[in-house]
Amino acid sequence: MPDGARPDSLRELTEPEFVARYGAGRFTCGVLANRGRYVAEHICTALLHRAFSPIITFSQDFVGAIVGPPEQGYPLTAVNKGNVIFLGSMSTGVRNTVHEFGIERLAPGDLLICNDPFRVGNHVNDLCFIRPVFHAGAIVSFVVIRAHQLDMGGAIPGGFSLMKTSVYDNGLVLGPQLIFQRDRPVKETLRIILDNTRFGETLLPDFYTIRSCCALGERLLQDSIERYGITAYTGAIRYNIDASAAAMQDALEALPDGDWSGCDEVDSDGIDADETYRLVVHLRKRGARLEVDLSGTSRQARTALNATALDAQTAVALAVKLALDPYTPFTSGLYRNIDVVIPDGSVTSARPDAAVMFYFEVQSALVNAILRALAAPLGSRAIGGAYGSTNLHTGAGFNPDGTPWFSAAELEAQYGAWGATDTGDGNNHSGLAMLNMIMPSVEEIEPRVPALILHREYLPDTAGPGTHRGGAGLLKQSVFLSAGDHYLVPLHFRTPSGGGVHGGGDGRVGGAWFFTASNADDRTPVTGSDIPDTDDFGTATVIAGTVDPHTGKLTADGEFAFFGRRPVWREGRGAVLRWITNGGGGWSDPLARDPEAVKRDVRDEYVSITGARRDYGVCVVGDPLTDPEGLVVDLAETARLRRDLAARRTPR
Amino acid sequence: MKYQRPTTPTVVVDRVAVTGHCPECGAAELKAYPVLSEGGWFKVVKCQNCLASLVRDADAIGPIELLSRTL
Repeated sequence: MPDGARPDSLRELTEPEFVARYGAGRFTCGVLANRGRYVAEHICTALLHRAFSPIITFSQDFVGAIVGPPEQGYPLTAVNKGNVIFLGSMSTGVRNTVHEFGIERLAPGDLLICNDPFRVGNHVNDLCFIRPVFHAGAIVSFVVIRAHQLDMGGAIPGGFSLMKTSVYDNGLVLGPQLIFQRDRPVKETLRIILDNTRFGETLLPDFYTIRSCCALGERLLQDSIERYGITAYTGAIRYNIDASAAAMQDALEALPDGDWSGCDEVDSDGIDADETYRLVVHLRKRGARLEVDLSGTSRQARTALNATALDAQTAVALAVKLALDPYTPFTSGLYRNIDVVIPDGSVTSARPDAAVMFYFEVQSALVNAILRALAAPLGSRAIGGAYGSTNLHTGAGFNPDGTPWFSAAELEAQYGAWGATDTGDGNNHSGLAMLNMIMPSVEEIEPRVPALILHREYLPDTAGPGTHRGGAGLLKQSVFLSAGDHYLVPLHFRTPSGGGVHGGGDGRVGGAWFFTASNADDRTPVTGSDIPDTDDFGTATVIAGTVDPHTGKLTADGEFAFFGRRPVWREGRGAVLRWITNGGGGWSDPLARDPEAVKRDVRDEYVSITGARRDYGVCVVGDPLTDPEGLVVDLAETARLRRDLAARRTPR
Repeated sequence: MKYQRPTTPTVVVDRVAVTGHCPECGAAELKAYPVLSEGGWFKVVKCQNCLASLVRDADAIGPIELLSRTL
């Protein structure tokens, strides 16, 4: 359907009109739409229980989806509640892959793959598996699993190094090709993958599992077709896409017309600290139409920071959906009234042979920029900013007994605070909105990785103040029990990511530090005396953040430490890695926060007694450490403090 | 190297002026440029006042050209 074309309101259609349009009644279409989502969930449950890769089983870095037939334009009709970062490019990516391979060459039991970011979005580790579903000799759907592979070759184990500078050291690029043909492995394809990647003993069984999961999805969809008929099945896909488009259309129409702009930054591409990467958005909204123009965004990066246009489109979809229509199931129909204008050669649409790996960092800043742009028209429904960067850590090395160890995206600050909203305080420890991954448990990580996770604790006065406060920043700290190389990618410690909205304050900006072991050999036991106190920063090397050069502590008027000055942090046994994540943005006036809520925050150490006075104008009396339940609010002093703070405010 | 990195710190999408009036709002503010939307890339001519599309031509995979596509 062309841009802005308005399908007759689905609600206003009579039942005969509805049946004439979709080939089945409302109830049947609703059942089939829900069944599509059930199928997507079911195949992902099967994968979750059977995969060997920890980034699939524990971090849940994958998604399952159902894509509609070619004659409908390959619409994304159903997804599981997985990693939403794969959703926005799914329809276009499947279409590109199937067209290039040749739709006439596909047969039942085939499993097609592609991982080229320029064809299917995301990065090379995110392998896209596509299984056609046939009915009466024609393809009526595709069952798709997009799953992060532990390694796809390239310069470093796992691939998460920012310092890769071209597609040639980024990892193995796979154009459209079969990995299974009529349910039998294609050995040539598997040899190319296994001969050019690490951890093949994990990848190979997972490929077989993914094939069986896609086959399960095909059988379940065939059951639907057998029970309801092909006309109802394909009609329900069209209905589901139209319903999604209509929901977004309604949400856009409820927003006032206007032009709004927003911006966020990524600290650096790792080459130097001079060039920050700006994500600029200009939103123009007229009636039910929205145009999002990224003109003014920074040029593509010299390293692997880059994203493709499909990733930029995904970020736009997720931000707009989060702000305007969070409850309707995600389909490609939500794009119907949204045009994204993306400058070629920008960090949001890099051109080959640029390396595309950390696209999700670009997406995170883009989501933040869009939420900032929408803050004005949303008014009280504005959403505070989150912690900003996944701060990815990859470590690899050898244990004293000679066995190799590897860890990716688990001993870092990949999870953190969200911003507050009109409904309540921000979450303290979640994945970024456009990731939706799960933090692996300590009990899963420590037996596999030579590290002990020492701290995951909230820090007072890091959350953006507000009537609803943002989520709190976290101090995370791990000690390594084996020597190794560490690749660190902290990308949002220069400016606040957790912007306050509707009168709320910004969350505090964090940083990262490495404490080098004093006896860094393979035999000396690591003891408690090797672990620095959590208020000791002076003996650490600052990785990233704006700090006092003498104390190493965070301070807004300090010096910015540039993480890229050391591409690899080679550390010995006993080294301690510390992160402080950014706080989330507050919502609305902190002087209007219920004093009892502030008292609870003091009790729970989200806010200090000093912070309660300074940021909220609340006088809390007592000692939260020795008598947390004995705290009281001095109401008279609170009233005086709030009058004084209000009087000192600069009129806006 | 296939493409040179832009020499300017930021980049923009050029919108080319098109003669004519918008059939919906009457404004003489038509521009041509590429967009990414439902169904992929389109070369559009749109009214800059009301955002109505006068032309929407599908455009394969957008700005990327693959040598392997010539096989």
